[in-house]
Amino acid sequence: MAAEEGGCLLVVIVDTNPVWWGENCMQTESGVDENQLHKCLDSIMVFCNSHLMLNSENKLAVLASHTDQSKFLYPKAESATAAAPPSVEPREDVISMATGEESNDSMFSRTNGPGSCGEGKQTSSDGRHELLAQLDDSLIDQLKEMILNDSSQDNILRAETMLAGALALALCYIHRMMKEHTKQGLKSRILVIKAGEDSASQYLPFMNAVFTAQKLNVPIDACLLGKDSGLLQQGSDITGGIYLQIPNPMGLLQYLLWVFLPDADTREKLVLPPRVQVDYRAACFCHRNLIDIGYVCSVCLSIFCHFSPICSTCQTTFKIMGRPGKAKKRKLLPK
Amino acid sequence: MDEDGETETGAYIWEGEYEKTWEALREDEAGSIQASVDDIVSRAKRRRLLERPADIRLGMMRHLFVVIDLSSAMTDQDLRPTRQHCTLKLLEGFIEEYFDQNPISQLGLVVTRNKSAEKLTELGGNPQRHITAARKAVDMACSGEPSLQNSLEICMKTLRYMPGHTSREILIILGSLTTCDPGDVSKTIKALCTNIRLVNFLDGKIGLCFHQELASYNIRSSVIGLAAEVRVCAKLCKGTRGKYGVILDECHFKDILMQHVSPPPAATNTESSLVRMGFPYHQLSANVASGETPSMCMCHLDGNEEQGFGSKGYFCPQCKGKYCELPVECKSCGLTLVSAPHLARSYHHLFPLDASVELKLSNISAEVSHCYACQVRLTEQLLYQCQKCQKFFCLDCDLFIHETLHSCPGCANKPPNQALNDSVNNRNNT
Ligand SMILES: [Zn+2]
Ligand SMILES: [Zn+2]
Ligand SMILES: [Zn+2]
Ligand SMILES: [Zn+2]
Ligand SMILES: [Zn+2]
Ligand SMILES: [Zn+2]
Repeated sequence: MAAEEGGCLLVVIVDTNPVWWGENCMQTESGVDENQLHKCLDSIMVFCNSHLMLNSENKLAVLASHTDQSKFLYPKAESATAAAPPSVEPREDVISMATGEESNDSMFSRTNGPGSCGEGKQTSSDGRHELLAQLDDSLIDQLKEMILNDSSQDNILRAETMLAGALALALCYIHRMMKEHTKQGLKSRILVIKAGEDSASQYLPFMNAVFTAQKLNVPIDACLLGKDSGLLQQGSDITGGIYLQIPNPMGLLQYLLWVFLPDADTREKLVLPPRVQVDYRAACFCHRNLIDIGYVCSVCLSIFCHFSPICSTCQTTFKIMGRPGKAKKRKLLPK
Repeated sequence: MDEDGETETGAYIWEGEYEKTWEALREDEAGSIQASVDDIVSRAKRRRLLERPADIRLGMMRHLFVVIDLSSAMTDQDLRPTRQHCTLKLLEGFIEEYFDQNPISQLGLVVTRNKSAEKLTELGGNPQRHITAARKAVDMACSGEPSLQNSLEICMKTLRYMPGHTSREILIILGSLTTCDPGDVSKTIKALCTNIRLVNFLDGKIGLCFHQELASYNIRSSVIGLAAEVRVCAKLCKGTRGKYGVILDECHFKDILMQHVSPPPAATNTESSLVRMGFPYHQLSANVASGETPSMCMCHLDGNEEQGFGSKGYFCPQCKGKYCELPVECKSCGLTLVSAPHLARSYHHLFPLDASVELKLSNISAEVSHCYACQVRLTEQLLYQCQKCQKFFCLDCDLFIHETLHSCPGCANKPPNQALNDSVNNRNNT
């Protein structure tokens, strides 16, 4: 099988919002499952492994989207640049020496410390495929590290995740990989596995990320474990990805493998969940109500649900030109 | 002063950029200078980002006419394969990018040849229509001389009726060094508007002096010259606050053309107003239970194809007319129909990302070894820091973030309500 295509770069963004996962663990405590995050992570790992196994050219990155940061779980910073030309900085020598030692250690025990790197050849003791073992270990280590170092010392739990930030990181990574692999024609897509709620404050960076993905031809797939997300519905619709809210998180692996594993070419031949009805109405800046007809400031494009002589966003005073609009509205009302 | 065709800095336009670039060229191991050339282009782009003025009003709703020279000068082969082909090919990209960045704006195409000008497409918001027209123009024969004045006049006729809160613009791509207008045009223009002064004609070559008329209509005219600087164009641009650029090669041409994609600063006397717009409901399938039936869309009514019949579509909230695509102006009630993402696409012009600071790797703490965004190991000496979140980026990411992404990954990862929550917390404690 000669590589007729350059493979596919899949970037998985996992929502690790502790509020949602905590709540869900509590809910199911009475039932059968005691740890959902654990099971979902297992499913995600199987899914990632499957993606890498489909084609030797396939590439993968996994990002955690947390409440106050987003983090690359895989590849780790060091291994990400393994292909980069070696630099002559003395600092790197120290690092590679250190990693060399640690990978020697890992021959004896699989439980590497968080400092270990994927650089160099790493052999796993239990006969797993080298690359896949690296992936699994990296995921677990990095996630552990992130949760243990959770910087929310202020004891405030936020229900929102930094999804826009994670998407921005993913796109920068994709941009770099596409540039590095222009000859192979690397295709990319993003899968967001989201649990928590939308954050209204992230609207702008989120939409910017969506438009960028559309420009780069990167579909954004969304797999919702919890409530529907209006933002992701729009994002998937605009970029041509699949949006799916799964009824039971226990079946996550099934959905991942059936719906989200096939690439764009294969998807055309499959019967996949139908497109969702997306609400593209705008929310007015003054009351955050969804409106059908609104007034848009010609200077700053703010949306208002009623006519006012001064724009509250940019302080522009409007000329009498706006009046006919008001008059039109009056005329229409009696009908 | 500008009589001798020099810009304020004293240098000719074509001397301004890409100065002494050969001194910066370095061969890489494989003997290629491509990386080095890319680097120069990247740095030029970055410099332009830094020069971008802050806090100015922009003309977000634009009406732009692109005038394409199809005179015999366009058959010149200094651009490959010919000036005409190259211009029209770049124009296709420009049209796509224009509507991507200015989703609620309109565009029209005009060609000028044989001493006259004709409209290729009317002002409209459908990129596909203009791209098709541009593709067809590849087969049009280039002949005669262009007419600057006729082109301006034809654009002006339409633009003067556009609402006052919109940005009215003309972009002229001129290959010829001469322009030819019929002698009595001055009378026609005088009849149209009294406050224009026309200067002499020297054997068919017209000098159009000080465009008071265009200025009074608030029409911004820019020119891209394919050959050399022409005085009449410099005056036209200066008088109407436009930009004048003369290209060096195809790459530079593309660069200059794409600069016109971003909305220009609004004229001081541009009116501002609240524009009434509709945000239509998108329906995927008819709800048979409530008695809905498939219908014909308004946009494909005049076509013979079966396209447009069905239950899918966007419905005007005022008159319930159906459309296949947004944005569109409702044909029956005149309401501008857009979707929220269309407006969101333009917001990055209004809230631009602050430029990052260039730093030397050796000057900062040793902990920074990777670009925050793409995880690449920082091997070059220069890196870029966002002033808000203090994260470090490589040059590639810095450009990508500022040109395409328009939001900083570091800042987007910071909870915006952190400060707010802190204050709430403090209040609760006290
Ligand atoms: Zn309101
Ligand atoms: Zn405003
Ligand atoms: Zn239609
Ligand atoms: Zn209507
Ligand atoms: Zn980078
Ligand atoms: Zn930042």
